[in-house]
Amino acid sequence: MNKFYRLFVQQKALVAIAVILVVMAFSGSEFFSAYNLLDMLNSSTILIILGLGVTLTIIAGGCDLSIGGILVVSGILSIQLQNFMPMPISLALAVLFGTVVGFINGFLVVHQKTEPFIITLGMGLLLTGVAQQLSDAHPVPAHNPDFMAIGNGYLFGDGMFTNGQFPGIPNLVLITIACFVFFAWLMRYTAFGRNLYAIGGDYDVARYSGINVVKNKWLTLVISGTTAALGGVLLSSKLNTGSAIYGDFTALVVNCGVVVGGTSFAGGVGGIPQSVLGLLLFGMLDNAMNMLSIPSWYQLMLKGAVIVAILWLDSYTQKRKRETV
Amino acid sequence: MKGLGTILKDYLVLVMILGLALVTAIIQPKFISPANLVNIMRQFGPLILVSLGMTFVIIGGFIDLSVAGTINLVAVVTISLIDPLGQVGALLAGLCLGSLCGAMNAVLILTSGATTQAEALFITFGMSTFYSSIALIYSGGSTMHFWDLKSPPDIFQAIGAGSVGPLSVSFVIFLASLAVLWIFHTKTAAGRSISLTGGNKTAARLSGVPVSRSIALIYTIGGFMAALGAIVLFSRVTTAAPVIGAGFETNAILAVVVGGTTLKGGKGSVIRTVMGVLLVILLNNSLNLLGVSSYMQWAARGAILVFAIWLDNRKEVQGNQL
Repeated sequence: MNKFYRLFVQQKALVAIAVILVVMAFSGSEFFSAYNLLDMLNSSTILIILGLGVTLTIIAGGCDLSIGGILVVSGILSIQLQNFMPMPISLALAVLFGTVVGFINGFLVVHQKTEPFIITLGMGLLLTGVAQQLSDAHPVPAHNPDFMAIGNGYLFGDGMFTNGQFPGIPNLVLITIACFVFFAWLMRYTAFGRNLYAIGGDYDVARYSGINVVKNKWLTLVISGTTAALGGVLLSSKLNTGSAIYGDFTALVVNCGVVVGGTSFAGGVGGIPQSVLGLLLFGMLDNAMNMLSIPSWYQLMLKGAVIVAILWLDSYTQKRKRETV
Repeated sequence: MKGLGTILKDYLVLVMILGLALVTAIIQPKFISPANLVNIMRQFGPLILVSLGMTFVIIGGFIDLSVAGTINLVAVVTISLIDPLGQVGALLAGLCLGSLCGAMNAVLILTSGATTQAEALFITFGMSTFYSSIALIYSGGSTMHFWDLKSPPDIFQAIGAGSVGPLSVSFVIFLASLAVLWIFHTKTAAGRSISLTGGNKTAARLSGVPVSRSIALIYTIGGFMAALGAIVLFSRVTTAAPVIGAGFETNAILAVVVGGTTLKGGKGSVIRTVMGVLLVILLNNSLNLLGVSSYMQWAARGAILVFAIWLDNRKEVQGNQL
């Protein structure tokens, strides 16, 4: 019983994914078709890319709620800048925008020691306003086939399932795997990654041990800003449009997805693979609810309930830990 | 001995917004016309009520993002109950529903043992989504109007547009709430417990302050005031849409913080919040008159929120050094 409880708490994401799989197995829908599974993976990629950066901030004891704002602004910028300059430069500038915002977040949160969640929430609000101004609250269409190809292309195939042939690997999945490998390496095998665990575990102890806490923690916000901007560019490319509305719910879903995976807001625990599982869960939940044709308002309700349940469990585990110590 | 610099730093946000008002008045003389001033007084209604509730949550060291969801839910439920329950019944049901939403947040936070603002922020945001989706499902996504009702809702019409002597009814509701909440906060043991809880939870618990009761109380007050704000809001616009409350949570937090109640908890007052709300409304009004687009107003609000929190934090850091 105790063992089961521990498994449930530590592997919330795996348990939830198992529940969804069982429900979908009995629903008799097309959930397990190769087409749907690939589509589900492909649509989770943007969330995963965002989550990789956010995982670093949460492990270091912070969080980043401005990613929704960064996502939409850089997505719109990447399209609008193409009117003035070649595509690669505009994409690079759009990603750089996220880096700059992350740098400002880092200055306010780490250097000036403000509360990360409320500062980044305000920053997200600010950026959403900027995105609406830039796009005049309308979707911004892109007209460049090369740009569209980044988010919709396939390697080793054409994306078709005709005659049972191999459909190829979507570019987005490849990019996500590359990012995943890089971040997993960063957190596991570099001094920077190991230091982040120490900083999240106990900020003062890390400082007295000679870790440059300000620089390292600052970098986590710069990185999460950059990954959010990268996600924004890829999302715009995938949808071939930039719009200010895509970011509305994203910041919260990504932060929750990371926590579900097992990276706690208390800091110092968790990891990149866990976050990927947690974010896959949200992608899977979306897909499963669509396959079961649940109306969108009920989807919203379910998602709200899932978020509350997960965070409740995270806090509750912390409380149990405090009480047992 | 406080120098001019310290005073200026303490009230920098206030000075900035007053400066903006002055600039607006010079560029756009309409700003100080009686019609515009009446307009400003009108806007005072719903936001101030929600912000007064939020003040207690923030003084208690927590935060409540669920007010947007609560307002959505209370607005659509109350207006739909006017026909079956009568006006007084609907009014009471709406206020009870709001308190219930607040109490539910409190139950979640207490049972999970959340002690930090971050945990409360995420849980209440999730609840906001939950309440909003119930409002959407309940109303079928459609907006309800006063003229759809069988009987004319004269009590609600009075709340929205009536006046008592020179003051509008909503202003009287505001004054009454302010008086009750101010007395509650400064003169009663339960009110003082809230400040102590926000100051330092562990110390408060060890010295016998009922911390859990304070947490339950702040969220219930927050929910009740959000419901009152929702009723004043839909009475004024005579329609209730299930998305009517969007943006209220950030505006309320902004008003509380700009007013000078610190996010760290323990310090602050409802009087300061009144000042904060006045400044937020003044800001919106100035930006409107200066022809700034509504999108950039969102951005400006976000920027001022970030700036005010940063400033609040600077004071804290310098205070510790002394």
